[in-house]
Amino acid sequence: MIVTKKALDRRTLLRGSGVAFSLPLLDAMLPAMAGEAGTAAGAANLRRIGYVYIPMGYYAPEWTPEGPSLENLPSSLSPLQELANDVTVLTGMDLQNAYPGSHATSNSAFLSAARAKLTESTDYYLGTTVDQIAAKKIGIQTQLPSLEMSMDLLSTVGQCDNGYACVYQNNLSWSSPTTPLPAEAHPRLVFETLFGEGGTPSQRREALRRKASLLDSVTQEINRLKGKLGATDRERIDQYMESIRDVERRIQQAEAGVRDNLLPDLDRPTGVPAAYADHARLMFDLQVLAFQGDITRVSTFQLAREASTRTYPEIGVSDPHHPITHHGGNIEKLKQVAKINQFHVSLFAEFLAKLKSTPEAGGNLLDHSIFLYGSGMGDPDAHDHSNLPIIVAGGGAGNHRGGRHIRFDKPTPLSNLHLTLLNKVGIPLETFADSTGKIEDLFDPVTL
Amino acid sequence: MVRNSRSRFPGTVPPNAMIQSLIRSFVLIAVVLAGHLTFGEEKVYRLLAEYCVDCHTGPTPSGQFSIEGLLELGTADESISRERASWERIIRRLRAGQMPPPQHPRPEEVHIMEIVKDLGRALEASDEQRPFYIATPGIRRLTRMEYQNAIRDLLGLQIDAATILPKDESSHGFDNITTGELTPTFISRAVQAAESISRQVLGIEELGPAGITIRIPPDRTQESRIEGLPYGTRGGIAFDYHFPNSGKYEFQMRLTRDRDEKVEGLGEGAELDVLIDREPRHRFAIRKPDRSDDHTLVDKNLRVRLDVDAGTHRIGVTFPQQGESLLEIKRQPFDVSYNRHRHPRSHVALYEVSIIGPIEIRSEGVPSNPITRTLFDDLPLEPPVGQERAVARQVLLRLARLAYRRPVIEKDMEISLSMYDQASSNGGFLSGLEAGIASILVNPNFLLRVESSPDDSIGQPVSLSPFELASRLSFFLWSSIPDDELLKTAENGRINQPEVLAEQVDRMLRDPKSEALVNNFASQWLYLRNLSSLAPDLRLYPDFDDNLRHAFREETEHFFREVIRENHSVLSLIRSNHTYLNERLAIHYDVPGILGSEFRRIALDPAYPRGGLLRQGSVLSVTSYATRTSPTIRGNWILENIIGTPPPPPPPNVPALQEKKDSSPSTTRERLALHRSNPNCASCHDLMDPIGFALENYDALGRWRNWDNDLAVDPEGVLPDGTIARSVEDLEVSLLERPEVFVGTLVEKLMTYGLGRGIELEDGPQIRKIVQYASGQQYRFASIIHGIVKSRPFQTRLVK
Repeated sequence: MIVTKKALDRRTLLRGSGVAFSLPLLDAMLPAMAGEAGTAAGAANLRRIGYVYIPMGYYAPEWTPEGPSLENLPSSLSPLQELANDVTVLTGMDLQNAYPGSHATSNSAFLSAARAKLTESTDYYLGTTVDQIAAKKIGIQTQLPSLEMSMDLLSTVGQCDNGYACVYQNNLSWSSPTTPLPAEAHPRLVFETLFGEGGTPSQRREALRRKASLLDSVTQEINRLKGKLGATDRERIDQYMESIRDVERRIQQAEAGVRDNLLPDLDRPTGVPAAYADHARLMFDLQVLAFQGDITRVSTFQLAREASTRTYPEIGVSDPHHPITHHGGNIEKLKQVAKINQFHVSLFAEFLAKLKSTPEAGGNLLDHSIFLYGSGMGDPDAHDHSNLPIIVAGGGAGNHRGGRHIRFDKPTPLSNLHLTLLNKVGIPLETFADSTGKIEDLFDPVTL
Repeated sequence: MVRNSRSRFPGTVPPNAMIQSLIRSFVLIAVVLAGHLTFGEEKVYRLLAEYCVDCHTGPTPSGQFSIEGLLELGTADESISRERASWERIIRRLRAGQMPPPQHPRPEEVHIMEIVKDLGRALEASDEQRPFYIATPGIRRLTRMEYQNAIRDLLGLQIDAATILPKDESSHGFDNITTGELTPTFISRAVQAAESISRQVLGIEELGPAGITIRIPPDRTQESRIEGLPYGTRGGIAFDYHFPNSGKYEFQMRLTRDRDEKVEGLGEGAELDVLIDREPRHRFAIRKPDRSDDHTLVDKNLRVRLDVDAGTHRIGVTFPQQGESLLEIKRQPFDVSYNRHRHPRSHVALYEVSIIGPIEIRSEGVPSNPITRTLFDDLPLEPPVGQERAVARQVLLRLARLAYRRPVIEKDMEISLSMYDQASSNGGFLSGLEAGIASILVNPNFLLRVESSPDDSIGQPVSLSPFELASRLSFFLWSSIPDDELLKTAENGRINQPEVLAEQVDRMLRDPKSEALVNNFASQWLYLRNLSSLAPDLRLYPDFDDNLRHAFREETEHFFREVIRENHSVLSLIRSNHTYLNERLAIHYDVPGILGSEFRRIALDPAYPRGGLLRQGSVLSVTSYATRTSPTIRGNWILENIIGTPPPPPPPNVPALQEKKDSSPSTTRERLALHRSNPNCASCHDLMDPIGFALENYDALGRWRNWDNDLAVDPEGVLPDGTIARSVEDLEVSLLERPEVFVGTLVEKLMTYGLGRGIELEDGPQIRKIVQYASGQQYRFASIIHGIVKSRPFQTRLVK
C-alpha cells in the first residue's frame, strides 16, 4: 500500500467544506490579489457592458427621486447613495413591444425590445438581444463572448405565462430570434465556465489543452455522422459545428488568457449558498472576476425570474414575491414591494462598489464598464410595461455623467437607451428595434 | 325563423342569420343530392346543419372554428380527407360531450356517439389510405435525465445531471421535445462532464480536492425518523456518494441555526452519528455552551476524517433517538417544526453535510470496485507490460457498443484509440484509458440520438432500423440507452418480430429502470416537478413543510408505480379504493392509525375522501395558489391532462382576481362568477371553473374542508357535458363513463413523450386505434404501452 500525503492549504479546505460561503468569493481571495495592481485590460476607456434584471417592476413612489439630482434618494434606491455620482436614474421609459402585458414578455422584451411570438411550442421567435449584439462585436476578443447568469435553479414545467413558451420567461439573452441562451445559476458551473477547475495558471493551461483535443474529436466524429442524415438534419449539423467552433475559440482565448491575465490561483466553490443574498453576492463576485480577468466583456444577470414566488425572509418579507406584487393598491403590500426593490438594489450597489475599488489601467473597473439595471415591468399589479424602473451605472471613462435623474416628458422607448449604450461601447448601429432616437445627454460630449 | 339560442345578444337577430339559413338549406340539399353515402354522412351533415351552423359560421364563428369550409367541399369523402384536422376537432368535442354546449339543444347521447363512431371510421379509413406523417428530426441531443440514466447504465455511476448540464426547456408539457439545438454551453459542459466522469470512474484525482456539499431543505422537520435511515434515529439525511478512490475523506457537518445565529433546538445537547452503508463510523457529542450564550463553536468541531473504500456508498448522517418527548408549546401543536416563532424545533437539526477528498490516497492504479470490475469485465485491472493497449481497446470497445447503441466498426474506434495513445505516451495506461473513455462520452454518437435518413428516401416514410427501434424503445421506457439484451435482439434482427418486440416491452416494464416512467414521465405529465417550488402562504398554512412536499410526491409516485408494476387498468388512476400513506401524510389527510415514516399501501374506507389522482395532495396543491384554491387552474389541469381538450391560452392583459375586499363578493366562486360575466372571459372560464368547483372541498394543500373561512363550501360544479357534479366522486364517475376520453389523453401524453414531438389532431385515428386495442384488455397499463410501440408513428419516421 502506498500512501500519498497531500498538503492542502486551509483556504481550499474551507471552501470545499462549504464554510467559505460565509465569506463571499472575493473577500476570500483578496489577500492573494493584493499587490497585483491593475488587470489584464488594455487601454480602451469603456469596454464592458452588463445588464441586471429584476422581475415584477417596482413601487414608484419609493424609487423615483423627486428632483433632477440624486441627492436624496428614496428608500428603494438609498443603497446607491454613496455611488450616486456613478449613477443615472431614468424615469418614463417603456417597452411597447412587451404589450399585451405579461410576465413572459417583460423578461423577453427587456433586452430585445421585440415582440415575442405567442406560442407554447418550439416555434418561439423573439429578437436578438442587445447584450448579444454587443457580444458579437466586443465579445470576440475574449474567451467568452458573454456571460449569462441567473438565480433560479429550478425550472417549472407544464404551463408558463399566458400561453408563452417557458423560454421567454427563463431567458434574458437571445443570440438570435430563435436561440435563447440558458443562464446559469450554479456558482460552481459559472466558475468552471470561466476558469475550468481552477488551480495554478500552468494547471489551468494543461486542462485547457486536454479540452481542446477532446473537442477536436467531436468535430471529426460529427462530420462522419453527417453522411447518414437528411438535408434538414445536415443543416442542423452545420449549426452544431458553429457551436463547437465557438467553444473551440473560447478555449483558445482561455489559453491565451491564462498566459496574459493576472488572476491568482483560483479555488472552486462547491455548492449553492443557502441564503439568497450570499448566492447573489457570489454570482456578482464571479462577474467581477470575469471582468477583471478579461474573460468576458458582456454579462447579463437575472436577479430573479418573472412571476417568481421567492420569499425574502432576511429582509422580513415572508410572503412570496409574485402575490405581493398583485398589490391591488394595498399599502402594506406596496411597502413590501419597495423593500424587495431596495434589497435587490443593495446587492447591485455592493457589486458596483467592488468594481470601483478594483483598479485598472487608467482608472477602475467601474469606470470601464457600463450597466443597465431594471425591470421590463412597471406597475406589476397591472402587468404594464410603461414607466419602467431603469438605472444606468458606471461608464465614467466613457463620460457618463452620473448623479442625475432624467425624467422624460413623454414615454420614451427603452430601445433608445439600448441604442445609446450600444453606440457607446462601439457598436455603430443607427436604430435598434422600436427606437426613435438616442438619449443624448446621458454622456458628456467628448472633448477633444 | 332562425333559432336564436345564442343568448349573447338577447333580443337581437344575429347579423349572419341570413347566411346561416342559406347554409342550412344548402346542406340539406347537399344531403339529399349526395350520391354515395359511405360513412353515414347524412347523419353527420344533418347534425351539423341542425346543431352547429348557428354558431360556427359567418365572419366571427364561435371558438374561432368555422364549419363552412367543411361543407363547401364537394363530397363528404373529399371533405374528410382534406380537412382531417377540423373533423378530428369535431370528434374530440362531441366525444367529450362539450359540443353542442350544455345549454343549447342537443341530440340524444346515443345519436352523438353513433356519429362519433361513423366519423372516426371514416377518418381512420382515410388515414389508412393516405397515412398521416409528420417529420421528426433525425438528430436530437439527450436530455439531462437521459444523460444521467445513460451514465448510470453505462458505467454504474450515479451522477446529478442537474448540476452538470444546462436546463432542458419544456414544450408540449415535456422536456424531451425541444432537443434539436446544441448550444455552446451544452457542448462545453459535456466536455467537462466527460473528463470528470472518466476520472471518477478510474479513481483519478481532480485538480484540488473534489467534493460535495449537500444541504437539507430548511423547512424540513427533523423530529422523527427519515425514510432510508435506521430505526431508532431521528432527522438527518441519507444519500449515495461515489468515492473515486480508497483513502481518507473529510466529513463536515453543520447544524441548523435560527436568524440570530443560534443553533435551533439545542436543549441540553445531542449526539450525531455518521454512517457508511448503515454501519456507524463516528459519533459526535453536541454540547450546549457552558456559560455563555454564544453558539459559534457548537458545530465547529463536527468534522472527521474517515477511511473509505473506493466505490459508491450510502452515507447517513443522523441523530440517535433520545426517546419521544411531548412538545411543550402554548399554542396548538403544528405538524411541523422548523421555525422558531411559530413551531420551533425541539431538537437540533442537520443543516448540511460536506464531503471532500480524498485527502490521503491508499492505493495506486485502478481501484477495484463494482464500477471498475464491470468496466474491465474479466480483463486485468493492471494489465501486464505490453498488454496495456490491447486491454484498453477491449474496455473501450465494450463501452462504445453500449454508448453508441449499435455495433461498433473499426472506424468508430480510431478516435478513442488515438486519444488513448496520445495520453498514455505521457501518463501511462491510466491516463490513456481516461482520455479514451472521455472521448466516448463526448462522442456525438453518444450525446445525440440519431435516426438516419438515406438520401433516396427524402419525403418518404421509412421504417426504423432495428437499432433505431431499440433506442426509441429504451428511451421511451427507461429514459436511457438499451441494455445488452435489447441490443442483441436488434443485432440479430429479431426485434422486428412482433412477439419478440412484445416480450422485450414486457421485460423492460418489469425492469426497475422503468421507474423512469414514474419519475420522468408521470412527474411531468402530472406537474409533480412543480412540487419542489411549491410555496404556500405560511400564515394560512402553518402545517406545511418539506416533509409534506416530499410526501405528496411519494404518494402519487407510489400510486402510479403500482399501476405499472401490477399492470392495473389505468382507470384506477382516476378511481381507487386505496392509496399510499405514511404518518405525515395520514395526519394531513386526517386518516388515523398510520405510524412511521415509510409509505405503505392503505385500503381506504369510502368515508375517507382519498384514493384517485384528483384526491391527492400533489395534484391539488400544484393547481392552487399560495393563498387559496384555484378552481380555474384545477379545471384547466383536468381539461389539459385528463380530458384532453385544453382551452386556448388566456388573452393578454387579464388582471388577476381582485383579492378579497369588504365591498366585493367574498367567495372565490362569486369572484370568479364576476370574472365570467365578461363574455371574453366566459368562453373559456365557463369550461374550466365549473369543473374545478367540484374539487372545492379540498383546500390549497389538499386537505378536506367543509368551510372556506366562515362560509360553507359549495362543491357544485358543472362538467363540460353539462352534468352537474356535486363532489369529486361525481366528477370521477363522469370521467369513467367515457373511459376512452381519459385513456385517449393518457395515450397522447405518452406518445408525445415517447416520440418526442407534439401530437397533432391528425394523429387521432392512430390514437383511437391504441385506445381500442387497450379497451380489449381493460385498459391495462402494459396494453397501452404495447399499443403505442406497435403503432405506425412509433415504428416509422418521415425523412425530411
